[in-house]
Formats: sequence, C-alpha cells, structure tokens
Amino acid sequence: MKRLVLASTIGVLSLMSGEPHRQADGRVSFMPSAEAAMSSKLGDLSPFRAIVVDVAGLIDKGDLAGAKTRIKDLEVQWDDAEAGLKPRAAAGWHTVDKAIDRALEALRAATPDALTCKQAVSALLSVMEPAGKS
Amino acid sequence: MSTTSPVRSSPMLNKVPEVTLIFWAIKILSTTVGETGADYLAVHVGLGANLTTACMASLLLAALALQLRTRRYTPWIYWLTVVLVSTVGTQITDLLTDRLEISLYVSTAVFACTLAATFTIWFAVERTLSIRTIVTTRRELFYWAAVLVTFALGTAAGDLATEALGLGFALGLVVFGVLIAFVAVFHTLGANPVLTFWLAYILTRPLGASLGDLLSQSQNYGGVGLGTINTSLAFLTMIIALVAWVTFEGDRSEGADPAQ
Repeated sequence: MKRLVLASTIGVLSLMSGEPHRQADGRVSFMPSAEAAMSSKLGDLSPFRAIVVDVAGLIDKGDLAGAKTRIKDLEVQWDDAEAGLKPRAAAGWHTVDKAIDRALEALRAATPDALTCKQAVSALLSVMEPAGKS
Repeated sequence: MSTTSPVRSSPMLNKVPEVTLIFWAIKILSTTVGETGADYLAVHVGLGANLTTACMASLLLAALALQLRTRRYTPWIYWLTVVLVSTVGTQITDLLTDRLEISLYVSTAVFACTLAATFTIWFAVERTLSIRTIVTTRRELFYWAAVLVTFALGTAAGDLATEALGLGFALGLVVFGVLIAFVAVFHTLGANPVLTFWLAYILTRPLGASLGDLLSQSQNYGGVGLGTINTSLAFLTMIIALVAWVTFEGDRSEGADPAQ
C-alpha cells in the first residue's frame, strides 16, 4: 500500500511538473507531455513496434494477406503481455490497445482496403511512438 | 421404470463439497485455467471473443446439466462446472468492458448488487443460505447463480484495482492474500460462515489471476516467465491430481464406513 501511494504520488507530481509545450502556432499546451508520460510509463514497446513496422512495410508492398498474417504476432504478444504492461499505465495501454484493434479490424475485413489499412497502421505507429521522439 | 420412482423421491446428498484447504487450492487454480483457456482459444487459436464465449457457454450448460442430474457430489463434474463458470463469468465482464465499454466502476457496482439480490432471493425462498444442505435442484441453482456472479464480480473488482490503482500482479497477490487472511481470521473468530465463505470466494478470483500472471508473465515485467500455456498446463495437471485425490479419498472413506 505504501508503495502504491508513493507510486501514484510520483505519477501525479511528474504529470504536474511537465513543462508546457509551446506549439508551432504559439499556443501553450500540456497535452504532449501528458501523452509522453503515459507512453513512457508503459516502458519499452520496441518489440511490439518492430512488428508494426513490418506490417506497414508489407502493406506498402501491397501484400495485405502477408500483413494480416504478421499482425497476428502482435495480437498474440500484446495479449500475453497485458498483465505486465497494463498496471504501469492503464490509460496509455488502452490507447494502444484500441489502435491495435482498429488495425486488426482493417486488415481482417472481408475485402481489406489498402488505404484504410495504411491509415490504421500509421495511427498505431504514432501512438506507440517512444517518449520524446514525437 | 417402477424402481426409479423411489430413488427419485429419496433426498439427494449434499451436491457441493466441504470447504477445506484442498477446496480453496482447486478453486484458485481453476480461476487461472478458466481465464487463460478462454484467452488461448480467442487469441492464439483465433476463434475471436464472440465464438469463444458461445463455445464456453454451451460447454457450461452441458456441464451444469450433468451436475444437476447427479444425486450426490461427484468431484470431477463439480470442478469441471466451476472451471467453466469461472471462464464464462470472466468473459461476461470482458464483454461488458471491452465490447460495450461499460466502466468497471459501474460493472463492479452492478455485480455487487446482483450478488446481494441473489442472496436475498435465495434466503427469501429457502430460509437458509447454508452450503451444507444443497440437496434440492432449486437450492443448487441458487448456488451456481451465486458462483457465476462472484466470478464476474471478482473479475471486475480485480480489473478495477489494476486500472484505477495500478495494482500489478505482484502487489495484487499480496493485497488479495492479506484480504483473504483477514477473512480467515474473522471466520475463526466466529464471523458468519456464509458471509466469510462468499467473501473468500470473491477474493480468490483476483488472487488466482495474480498468481497465474506472476508465473506466466515474462521476467521483463517481473514475472517468472513460464508463459501462459505452460502455466495453464501446470495448473490443469495440479487440478486433475487434486480432484483425483479427492475422488479416491471419498471412495476410501465411504468404503470404510460400514466396517466401523
């Protein structure tokens, strides 16, 4: 319980201390730092991201069937790691999970549309973007 | 045919087991197997959540029919039913959370109220909630309804602890273990046995899930790294061994009875 209180305190403090980002149009926003905090709290997502990069490559080559096969690896590994990842940052986990669901849905459609698949997969890549790189 | 009627009118023996340490051991192990088994069919085999739920629900109905037809407690049928109730109870919660996007706060509250309503109706009809006198089909149906709701409630409350408090499996094992220890202490101090039994029944659901996760999750996440499949197979083997032992022990003690 002590650890839990400590962890949540640190979480809140780190969110509050996040520097406001000055966007291109001059507006000040707290959003990017909050999102970065969320995804960095999920830890290293690179093994999952590598699969998505493969899938994106296959879609670019027009191999939608191959992409569909490859994304199953992501589904299985992501599902297996749920109990390990989710407690780290439940909100961040759900964001990625929903994006994976949309990509799966696009690739598994009866007649998959290359453009829809591409958009879903690039959206997935951007939510998996490591902190500080976006 | 005439010989069957006296048998039918004779009272049934208690259809559910005595609550012993082995009972809780099998119950906790069943929780994990129920959850990972369904997950395996849905994701690895690729049946999807809907087809898996449909399969599990029909298997549950078949097992329940078998369990209701027996006239006394038969370990393998009883525990098969528990594993399947565990699976379906978990899937009901997952369906509400993932598909219908119902908040875990709402589903936890709704399941808690449903459980309270189940006990209220059960008591109003039978004037007892005793699990030592599950000797009619109607009582047995109340019993299994309560079991199903405790699994759904245990899943929702456990998931809520993960989502809202960031409770991982290692800490979860400790938290739910301590809560169960409290219930055990209250039980020995003379608290209502029906209440403590069902509280422990709810709490062993997230405890079992945490234990399964600890063994199956990779070492990167602080687990032992056995993997889901190995963990489930190990647990399934232990369940079969314990159920076989309980069956054998039951036969032996019954055989000894007339001699005494």
